[in-house]
Amino acid sequence: MSAPVEHASASGHAEPSKLHIYVQIAMLLGVITGVEIVLIYLPLAHWIIFTALATLSTVKFMFVIFYFMHLRWDKVFCTILFFIGLILGGFTMWALLHLFTAAKPLSAAALEMARIAIG
Amino acid sequence: MAEALAQSHYTDKAHAAGPKDITLLPRPTAKTGLISWLTTVDHKKIGMMYGSFAICFFLIGGLEALMIRTQLIVPNNRFIGAQFYNQLFTMHGTTMIFLAVMPLNAAFFNLLIPIQIGARDVAFPRLNAFSLWAWVVGAILLNIGWLSYVNHAADVAFGGAPGVGWFGYAPLTSKIFTPKLSTDLWAMGLQVLGLSSIVASLNFIVTIINMRAPGLTMMRLPVFCWMALVTSFLLVLALPAIAIALVEVLFDRNFGTNFFEVSGGGQPILWQHLFWVFGHPEVYILILPPMGYVSEILPTFSRKPLFGYPIIVFSGAAIGFIGFGVWSHHMFTTGLGNVATAAFSVATMAIAVPTGVKIFNWIGTLWGGQIVTRTPMMFALGFIWMFMLGGFSGIMHSAAPADAQQQDSYFVIAHFHYVLIGGATFALLAAIHYWFPKFFGRLVPEFWGKLSFWIIFVGFNVTFFPMHFLGLNGMPRRTWTYDANMGWNEGNFIATCGAYLLGIGIFTYFAVLIYTYFKGEKCGNDPWDARTLEWSIPSPPPEYNFKAIPTVHARDAYWYEKNHSDEIAKEKTEHIKAESSHGGIHMPDSSWYPFLACIGLFIGTYNFIQLKSPVVFNGSTLTASHLPFAIAGGIILFTCCYLWSLEGPGGYHIHIDDEGNETVTRSH
Amino acid sequence: MSSHAAAGSIDHHHDSSTSTGIPNKKLLWWAFLASDCMFFGTLISTHLVYRLNPPPGNAEPTKVFNIELTSFSTFILLMSSLLMALAVNAIQRGQVKSMRTMLLGTMFFGCIFLGGQVFEFSHFVHVKKMTLSNSLFGSTFYTLTGTHGTHVAIGVLLLGLMYVRSFKPTNSHGTAGDLGLTLIHVLAVCTAMGLSFISLVPGFLDMLENGSGFGSFLSSHTLTLVGIAAAGAVLGWFAKTSGAPDFDQRNAIDVEAIGLYWHFVDIVWIVIFTAVYLIEYL
Repeated sequence: MSAPVEHASASGHAEPSKLHIYVQIAMLLGVITGVEIVLIYLPLAHWIIFTALATLSTVKFMFVIFYFMHLRWDKVFCTILFFIGLILGGFTMWALLHLFTAAKPLSAAALEMARIAIG
Repeated sequence: MAEALAQSHYTDKAHAAGPKDITLLPRPTAKTGLISWLTTVDHKKIGMMYGSFAICFFLIGGLEALMIRTQLIVPNNRFIGAQFYNQLFTMHGTTMIFLAVMPLNAAFFNLLIPIQIGARDVAFPRLNAFSLWAWVVGAILLNIGWLSYVNHAADVAFGGAPGVGWFGYAPLTSKIFTPKLSTDLWAMGLQVLGLSSIVASLNFIVTIINMRAPGLTMMRLPVFCWMALVTSFLLVLALPAIAIALVEVLFDRNFGTNFFEVSGGGQPILWQHLFWVFGHPEVYILILPPMGYVSEILPTFSRKPLFGYPIIVFSGAAIGFIGFGVWSHHMFTTGLGNVATAAFSVATMAIAVPTGVKIFNWIGTLWGGQIVTRTPMMFALGFIWMFMLGGFSGIMHSAAPADAQQQDSYFVIAHFHYVLIGGATFALLAAIHYWFPKFFGRLVPEFWGKLSFWIIFVGFNVTFFPMHFLGLNGMPRRTWTYDANMGWNEGNFIATCGAYLLGIGIFTYFAVLIYTYFKGEKCGNDPWDARTLEWSIPSPPPEYNFKAIPTVHARDAYWYEKNHSDEIAKEKTEHIKAESSHGGIHMPDSSWYPFLACIGLFIGTYNFIQLKSPVVFNGSTLTASHLPFAIAGGIILFTCCYLWSLEGPGGYHIHIDDEGNETVTRSH
Repeated sequence: MSSHAAAGSIDHHHDSSTSTGIPNKKLLWWAFLASDCMFFGTLISTHLVYRLNPPPGNAEPTKVFNIELTSFSTFILLMSSLLMALAVNAIQRGQVKSMRTMLLGTMFFGCIFLGGQVFEFSHFVHVKKMTLSNSLFGSTFYTLTGTHGTHVAIGVLLLGLMYVRSFKPTNSHGTAGDLGLTLIHVLAVCTAMGLSFISLVPGFLDMLENGSGFGSFLSSHTLTLVGIAAAGAVLGWFAKTSGAPDFDQRNAIDVEAIGLYWHFVDIVWIVIFTAVYLIEYL
């Protein structure tokens, strides 16, 4: 491997500033958060809101990890490493949630009827 | 690459003129004596400490097992009481898993990884020392309950050693059923052990991926290093699950939460899930490094390279990751529902495939080779056969309907002892014999080594084979005694006799090792005519491992070196020249802080679990709660970590002249 | 810990002394964050499992939550993430003073977030009567958000330590005196931050909540304000009197590492905000 490439620069600024990108993304994240908060009050079907919230959160999540946490410009192995943990965590969560909803708990009305039936 | 390595920040001379790092305690420089061991960051010394502590606990765990077997030798025995029996099987399991096999694997990770990849130490040497001492804290917390049997005040507080089973199922772990501290100590002890393992694994992941010698691509890594890498990934990804579960049980016990409290809406089954999300990857954590040892030993004693290297590596990774998806096979009898049961059953069967692939590849390695039946090879061959038997009983478990009969019976005990003793322990015993000459410079006498192997092999099978039948004939696990008319009398009697024979075998094995340490025949750097880089350096290795960082040209790097000695000799001279022109061999400095930080960790954790109770000393109450001491422990821990960061990486240089004399220079 | 350039300025994306080119510390932190994903994943799973199976008599989240406060906290944490990214950006370009300002900003916003949590918890306990032990929702909610809050607090502490480190003078002799000054500096940072989030911010939010007026807020928090002012004065003194620090582009890797931790804490909150708070309103 060769020695690190020299960036000759009199002012010592080897790294171009990413200030503009960061500020724009922060604004975007703020707007998305605002949309999420408004969304829960809208009279839409639950599954639509749920999916929208999940998608918006995922978008925010990805922007933070790829831009603020620099994954977009780093070696791809860092991304792979993190996604191994993320996907495993997600899979475990999904599996646990399914394991605990195998049997639907009785609704209040059904519970009441069962109580009456048992006497 | 050598140039870049030599030019790395570790060797830059500019540091000499710079500002001093802030230190409260100086970097220790002694090479011998107690302090040198307490403050060492040398991976070899750390590995030896892990190994010695592990062997001590292995023998303690064995004693616990012998007491269990003695209690069961005849029906209606009253050798020990039922409560004590519960503590024995709890501690036997906990000790063998967390205080014997895992630290023995950690010992080999420490001893071998840097020298197999051509590095001088791990990526973060002080962090490595911290994991060792944190492990010691965890070991103390787990075993401090035994003081109950020698001290009355301890008995009042602790109520004996932990007795909730090594898996601590809720609601037995709730304050109602186990009100004394033994369960809190168990939970906190495991928590600290988890911290130690996570920290160590992070270190090894970075080391294996980032500190390989020039030319050492991932697909040229020794299989042991690959298995260590996969194991480290499993540890960092599985331990968080049990960390949370332990937090939840400690909160239930001490802060009145309702995670597993039915009266508050909690579900004890959640503990089982979270525990086994960790617990199943844990068993692969236990077995993958042994598979690595065997993959190194078989080629050496078959006089040919490992068969199917890429597929063995891939299968190891596959076993590790599929292992995250099978945890509920420990819960088939809990009423998961048809879909879940079927899914976990199929996934469990799927794991048998990569495992079988590995076994075929090991057989392929033996096939057509010139088999040399030295002691390590005997243990390795024993591993293949015994692990297979354990695998067969395992695949029987994977069929959920069959498991309905086998669950919680002695059949399960037979299964996991075949894979853990016949598998993991045999491979560890093989590895100890194989690498003992490397680290101590002496060869274990062949006759006694082989004798200990045969006694262990026979003793082990006599102990555990009958348990298959005991289990299928209905004998449940974890029962203190049994009636004479159950049909279990002969099986238990034979098993106990086998256990004593196994004990004699283990005793012989370690007695021989101790003898060898003092009086064994000395050997050179490569007594086995082996294939990997660690055999290219002197036995025992010098502090700096390699005089010249090797360049790797092929898999089985040392074998290539032995067959291309001129080329290699030229390379080595060049590397030595490059390194000495940049200051010489750079070595990391020892440090007090990892050890001292763990003293804080012990004080903090030991007092944290007693938060609500007053501090009583010699009959008088000192403080109303343990909180001040817990906080003090936390402050010590934090301060030491902070001073550790202020201390800076430090380091010194070693120059070796042509006569082999070493001079040490420091710029700090 | 500082790293040294081989020659010229540093390539912050490539470390040629490692096999992959990724600096060791960066690799370590990303591996740790992968592990932390499982950690929070398990905690969030516990919470969600019990939301899917609520027992009778459980607390009702929509009756307990103050979604305005939580939304405000979410914005605050997002902005703190921006400031953190700017801090890393600054030190990668060698701008130490700018980095310090951004670090202080990140810590300040972090303390506002924490203060909001302290207020939220005490409000839930004292006004809504939901505790750790009297409901399952309390058990899971406080443990989950409390663990996240602890992560934030540790982050603020680490940022404070990095802030102090950026003042280490080039002519330091590594003596006990230097250590003493460092510890005083650290204490001042901790006092300022600690008082803000434990007392000042919750007190301020309390004032907004029950409209008791700015005057009464000032009088009931005089000690806090005095403490913060004193700590601030000490910080100002250190900022003014320190000479050239032994801190430049070569330390950017350490600031970046803390940045990774801080951003991770933010993305966990993104998940928690949706899965614990917003979902309840459906």
